[in-house]
Amino acid sequence: MAEIIVGGKYRILRDRYYTETDEWVLIENNIGTVGITDYAQKKLRDIVGVELPEIGREVKAGDAVAVVESIKAAADIYSPLSGKIIDINRKLVDSPELINKDPYGDGWIFKIEISNKNEIEKLLSAEKYSELIKQKEGLV
Amino acid sequence: MFSTPLLDIELKLNADIGEFAGWQMPMKYTSYQEEHMAVRSSAAFFDISHMGRLKVSGKIDEFDYLIAKNFKSSQNNKMVGPTAFLNDKAGFVDDVMTYKISDNEFLIVTNAINREKVINWIKKNSSLDVEDLTFKYVMIAIQGRRVWDYIEKIELQPLEFKLNTKFLGEDVFLVSRSGWTGEDGVEVWGTPEVIAKIIQRLVARGVKPAGLICRDSIRQEMGFVLYGEDIDENITPLEARYWVFSLDKDFIGKERLIEQLKTGVDKVRVGLKLKKGERSIPRKGNKIKIFDKEIGYVTSSTFSPYLNRVIGMGYINSKHALFGYSVDIEIRNKLVEAKIQDFPFI
Repeated sequence: MAEIIVGGKYRILRDRYYTETDEWVLIENNIGTVGITDYAQKKLRDIVGVELPEIGREVKAGDAVAVVESIKAAADIYSPLSGKIIDINRKLVDSPELINKDPYGDGWIFKIEISNKNEIEKLLSAEKYSELIKQKEGLV
Repeated sequence: MFSTPLLDIELKLNADIGEFAGWQMPMKYTSYQEEHMAVRSSAAFFDISHMGRLKVSGKIDEFDYLIAKNFKSSQNNKMVGPTAFLNDKAGFVDDVMTYKISDNEFLIVTNAINREKVINWIKKNSSLDVEDLTFKYVMIAIQGRRVWDYIEKIELQPLEFKLNTKFLGEDVFLVSRSGWTGEDGVEVWGTPEVIAKIIQRLVARGVKPAGLICRDSIRQEMGFVLYGEDIDENITPLEARYWVFSLDKDFIGKERLIEQLKTGVDKVRVGLKLKKGERSIPRKGNKIKIFDKEIGYVTSSTFSPYLNRVIGMGYINSKHALFGYSVDIEIRNKLVEAKIQDFPFI
């Protein structure tokens, strides 16, 4: 099965890694594509703005690199891995709601060239992230 | 925690449920922006069962003294509002809608967070009887620019005000031509059974269900205040520029209001409009500045899908009430430009 559904409504895809702060990263070769999870977008409700990072910026794992503004709150987005920002999703500037509509696809936020692949093993698998969501939701 | 009795039917309509003022209520169904545009172009309905619904019985002179607007001289079967209960410092105990049924029976709609406070305040300040109907009836608002097209289609007659009417063979307690959206529409109180039937009919005719996020963005476009955010016990109607009183009668807080009218106000509520393309949302308590001087604070803000920009409201020192001038709002340690303007935004 390509996805896990937690609590009847939160989708988690098996093809990528997750953070405790609800980002996902899809790794292809040494490039990571980053966004926020279905759980995060549902908790934030309607997203109305995104502040994107600058291309070329060197970041460390855990650095706040973007901001997602929802009707409820502003949320910092942390880089799951260290490396250099090589692309940003400019469509989000005019259509931030793409994160609500397609958090794992068209709602991606930035791409990073990974500088230290050893950090990947510190990320959460889909199974581990689903356990975390169950805990957060009081389902276990 | 309370929960709307309409929860089951709303979950079937894919409601995203969240908490507001101690109630589990629909926050949105699809996106608040789509719901917002439905109100501004066609029609939508809101579950507003969280609001307090009170029936008051007793002497009209006593009730009139509690209310800042002239209630006594109203005709029967009329709504008087919005008005307010004020404390002796002219601060808001609550802002309310009131209805005169007869010379000794009145209805009140309170803010959800103030329901118990209002009941206790009425009992403390009068010998009136208060019956809490909040849990007996639910309440929906059907609102929109083309609302009558839909209301006629569901055969809920366009009534200005009707008590104890029948709809689909069941009791509807109240239909009133009112709302909180700036559009035309009605608010309906009824048993959960009849309101569920009305909702089914509305949905079948294409009226969109809307949640409380949309209700918040809609009211901000009109410059309407929300208790607990924009007004409270320490804010007067003059500071809020909320014209909920008449000085040709006596009411609690009147002396202080007259005093303040003579001295003038230190702060005043204004609208704030951010530039197009700016997507940072000011949050409650964010500082309003001119250069590095703090001149006020934000109380509400949202992204308006109708204007395609961020709007909000707040209080600024009255010496700085420079309508048309652009000031700064400090949002997360960043200064964002906002123009001071009057309400409504649309």
